[in-house]
Amino acid sequence: MNARRAYEILLRLYPRDYRARFSAEMTSAFEEAAAEHRQRGRGASVRFVAKELAGLLAGAAVEWMAKSVTDDTVRGRNLPDRQRMRPPGVSWEDHYGNPPLDVPEDVREAQRCVDASVAGMVRAIADHEFKKARFYSLAERKASERLRVLREKYELGE
Amino acid sequence: MSLADRPRHGYALLKDTEALSQGRVRLSTGTLFGALRRLLEDQWIERFEQEDTSRDKQAYRLTAMGRKQLELELDSMKQLTRAGTARLRASEV
Repeated sequence: MNARRAYEILLRLYPRDYRARFSAEMTSAFEEAAAEHRQRGRGASVRFVAKELAGLLAGAAVEWMAKSVTDDTVRGRNLPDRQRMRPPGVSWEDHYGNPPLDVPEDVREAQRCVDASVAGMVRAIADHEFKKARFYSLAERKASERLRVLREKYELGE
Repeated sequence: MSLADRPRHGYALLKDTEALSQGRVRLSTGTLFGALRRLLEDQWIERFEQEDTSRDKQAYRLTAMGRKQLELELDSMKQLTRAGTARLRASEV
C-alpha cells in the first residue's frame, strides 16, 4: 500500500461534511509535501508519512469532537473565543458596553441560550446541515419565549 | 499570519509556517486544515476564488475581521514582550 492510499483511507475517518470541504485539498497538499520529503531521503520520507498519518488520526478525533459539541470554546479546541476577549488597552465599557449587572441571572442565562441557538443555526446552515439548523431554530424559538416571559416577570424592557 | 501578505493554498501555508518559525514548526496537513476549518467558521479567513484554482488547490485569504484579530494578537504579543523586558531590566538593577 502506498502512502497516498493509506492517507486516503485514514481521511475516511473524518466527518463527511469535513471531507467534502477539505479532502481534495488535503490530499493535494500531502502529495506536494511528500514529493519534497522524498527528495530529502528515505528516512525523512518515512518520518513525514508517519507524522502525517498520526496527524490524521488526531485530526479526525478532534473534528468529531468539534462536530458533536456546540460549545464554542470546545469547538475552538478549548481556546477562549478571541472575538469575545477584551483587547489590551480597551476599557471594559468600550468593548462590552456597560455590563448589565442589575439583570437577574436567569434572564442572562436565557439570553445566552438565545445567542447560542442563533450561533448554532448560522453554523449549521453554513455547513448545509439543515436538520441541525431546524433543531437550533426550534431551540431559539423556545429560548426567546422563555426570555420574553422572564423579562415580563422582572418588568425589564426590550 | 501566513495569510497577512497574500492568499495562500494548503501546501504554501505549510511551507510558509515552517519558514516563519525558522524550521521549528512543521504542521501536518491534519493540523493545518483543522485550523483552517476553525478560522473559516469564525470568518477570520475566506476561500479566495482564482480563475486557475482547481478544487484540490484552494487559496485562502484573511477577511477584514481576521486582519483586525491578527493586529490585536500582535499588539498583545508586543505588550507581553514589553512587560517581560521591563521586568528583566528591573531585576538587573
